[in-house]
Amino acid sequence: MSSTAKARGGRVGLAVFLAIAVFPASGGLLYALLYSLGGVGLLSRGWTLQAWIRVLTGSEFWRSLLFSSTVAAEVVLISVALGLSLALSLGERLQRTLGTLLHVPLTVPNVVAAFLTFQLLAGAGLMSRVAVRVGAIPDTARFPSLVQEPWGIGIVLAHVLLATPFLVLLFAALARSERVSAFVELASTLGANHTQTLRRVVLPLLLRQALPSLVLLFIAILGSYDIPLLLGVQSPQMLSVLVVRKNGIYDLAQKPEAYSVAILYSVFTLLLLLRVIPLQGRRREAS
Amino acid sequence: MAAALAFGCRQGDADAAAPPGSWRETLLRARGQTVALAMWQGDPYINAYIRDFVAPRLRRDYGVVLRTVSAQGNQIVSMLMTEKEARRPNSASDIVWINGETFYQLRQIEALYGPFTDRLPNARFIDWRNPFIRYDFQQEIRGFECPWGNVQFALIYDSGAVADPPRTRAALSEWWRAHPGRFTFDVQFTGLTFLKSLLIEIAGGGQALAGPFDESKYRESSTRLWAWLNENKRFLWKSGRTFPDGVAQLHELFASGEVAFTMSNNDREVDNKIAQGLFPSTARAYVLDSGTIQNSHYLGIVQGAPHKEGALVTINFLISPEAQLEKQKPSVWGDGTVLDVTRMPAPWRESFTSEAPRSYAPSRAAIQGKALMELAPEYMLRLHDDFRTHVIDR
Amino acid sequence: MKRAERHRAPATTLVALFAVLPIVYLALLSVTRTGAPPRVLPAEWRLDAWRFLLSGRGEMLRSLWVSLALSAAVALSSAPLGFVAARYVAFHRHRRLLLFFAYMPFVLSPVILGTCMLFFYIRAGLSGSLAGVFLAQTVFTFGFSIVFFLSFWNREKLDLEDLVATLGGTRPQFYRLVLLPISRDALRTGMFQIFLLSWFQYGLTILIGEGGVRTLPVLVYAHVAEANPLFAAAAGMLLVLPPLALLAMTRRPPLGSL
Repeated sequence: MSSTAKARGGRVGLAVFLAIAVFPASGGLLYALLYSLGGVGLLSRGWTLQAWIRVLTGSEFWRSLLFSSTVAAEVVLISVALGLSLALSLGERLQRTLGTLLHVPLTVPNVVAAFLTFQLLAGAGLMSRVAVRVGAIPDTARFPSLVQEPWGIGIVLAHVLLATPFLVLLFAALARSERVSAFVELASTLGANHTQTLRRVVLPLLLRQALPSLVLLFIAILGSYDIPLLLGVQSPQMLSVLVVRKNGIYDLAQKPEAYSVAILYSVFTLLLLLRVIPLQGRRREAS
Repeated sequence: MAAALAFGCRQGDADAAAPPGSWRETLLRARGQTVALAMWQGDPYINAYIRDFVAPRLRRDYGVVLRTVSAQGNQIVSMLMTEKEARRPNSASDIVWINGETFYQLRQIEALYGPFTDRLPNARFIDWRNPFIRYDFQQEIRGFECPWGNVQFALIYDSGAVADPPRTRAALSEWWRAHPGRFTFDVQFTGLTFLKSLLIEIAGGGQALAGPFDESKYRESSTRLWAWLNENKRFLWKSGRTFPDGVAQLHELFASGEVAFTMSNNDREVDNKIAQGLFPSTARAYVLDSGTIQNSHYLGIVQGAPHKEGALVTINFLISPEAQLEKQKPSVWGDGTVLDVTRMPAPWRESFTSEAPRSYAPSRAAIQGKALMELAPEYMLRLHDDFRTHVIDR
Repeated sequence: MKRAERHRAPATTLVALFAVLPIVYLALLSVTRTGAPPRVLPAEWRLDAWRFLLSGRGEMLRSLWVSLALSAAVALSSAPLGFVAARYVAFHRHRRLLLFFAYMPFVLSPVILGTCMLFFYIRAGLSGSLAGVFLAQTVFTFGFSIVFFLSFWNREKLDLEDLVATLGGTRPQFYRLVLLPISRDALRTGMFQIFLLSWFQYGLTILIGEGGVRTLPVLVYAHVAEANPLFAAAAGMLLVLPPLALLAMTRRPPLGSL
């Protein structure tokens, strides 16, 4: 295949690829690097490591990274658990109307999901009012903080609501394409009971196939912006919100810090991406 | 309409031989321009005033198309700064709605065009003798921004739920302790103005912090402010761990009954929010005994504005008696005028003085004595960042 | 599996409800106002937002057109470009390296990468304009587009190309008579997915558009920020309805790989 590679690709493909995929993103990251080091910028006074030292020695970036990763991990774990159990228990029903219905939540964008979650869970939101009505709490002021609180409960919930239908459909599709039922039959013929089949055969099979998508889901939530912008608190902030805030802060001297956080985030994400690509290759060869 | 007639502003009056630099020439050149106004868009009434009153009028009378861009204070600075870094000759915005701290930063990076206020025919009606209008955060305007509105900070409470609102800092913290979770303030302009009023009180009140920024005075009074806040913040909304992101969110918390107080930089806002149906009709506004900040907000023209003539014509219209009167109506916006009523032509003078009285807001006369001058911009910039370090992050 | 059988009926209903309720709630929020707590049911019906929308006076309708035009343009450009580039990547010796670069603009947070690239957009005079947002979204969706079309370009397609050549067919003939028919479905699906990516995009639009390009997500957020839930919900409905309509028409839209 290698001998034909160049010829097959064509110059058009290469040009398009470089112009749209490679240059803009790498150019942006390079600019960010230069800016963070004082190489460019309106208020720059020459090369300096100051922004980097401030970001790396301060707690803000680390807390933001920890918070973003925790939120992303929680969303992946919860929605995988929900997605798997629903996909397996609903089985072939997902090929009928129910499957189509599950596409409906996929038409809800992040901004709207954040808005709805807020309306539902805010201190004087629908849930709080219902809780008062059924007598669970005396008045809405007693309702626990579920949005705009430091644990990011609302952020996780909004993301779970968006990710779960997607994962149900993904796992159901994988179960069909991997002919899980054939393996299940084989396992039970060999004397495995229900739990054993599930633990040893079905789950490993599905999770391994879904792994690239799950890592990508993690990455997407790590950099999420619209949802934490509305449902998050001022500290800790998720990474995207932090970068945007630092970039537009009153103290103009902090702008280079925004760029060093952007670089750190990008390095972290791209390292994760490096883990995904071999997996994608494996999946491709397998299919 | 009278304004247009009085100053010959109609394009039909302008002839092709208008001398260069004259207002007539400006009007001629403005025709057909699309002017971008970068403004805070956090209030549906303000947005509606621009969209439904100002924009159609500009288009009809001057052939200027007005387009709004959503951006406020620090975003405007960051945007114009990046434009400068990229050496972009033509800015994406023409007019910016700013005051104090933004004005200061934009002047620092030389992003404002001017002086231009002398060129506006309607500028002669502006109440230049009023120090609350002439000085923006203790700074001389020097023609680089044009006053647009004048307001005073007020606290708003629900008189149905709170019989006697706290009027001093001590009473405030006492009330917080007695009613945990029922008070908060936002971390943008309005909340910072509230903190500034408290800072002045701590420093000794009145003119204690007047004049240029004083590091030692700031340190001393802000240390006490943070200590007081940290001591009491656990009685604030969400135990003081987070604060609403903007005043609109604070209004919403108040409207839904989650908190018992909200606040506004505009003493009249309570009237328009009740009219709008957002606030209960029992909502009332008041100011602290130690006073609250009165300030003006301004319009600047971006140095790289591609449509300077259109911007001048737009600003001139915005400070016309007609536009200012409309803006002052509680049913429209309720924003105080920057014009000196005594300088206006007779029919306008009457309209301004016979304007509907405030229903729920205190009268200007009653609170003018408690008006505090804005502090130098550095106070606000420092408060903004230090509030995060000393209160939010702790 | 018998045990599970019995649980299915209620589970099905539950899942169906869960799938539809958010949109019902959104629709309700766009026409009602709830009074002071602890009132649960709406206090009054308010058709303001929809009346305003239909009057054509406000910008909601304009935002709808801006969004539709923008997302359609992004889908129409990004899908074919990705289709071509995917072919290059698929058969390249350093496939994984190229794949890494292809993924880069797509997996990095659009606002963070956008912050880094804003300088160039401003420099080129593209910030604050629809053209700039179009370009930014094309770059963002392009990575997805490549990854999406990668699975289309397999050995089989190469063999087909060789076959046509062996049989004396020209390249244009191959494209028109062979490639287009067999790729039509993939292209359609890819375009739909890219359309949605662009349709939902908020951060990048507000950043590169500098607040001046008011697509529907920007409008929803603007109404949320002015504490105007009625209008936010109405704009949100406009955002949800077109994809729903597409869903209803196609019945079963194919699922992309995120």
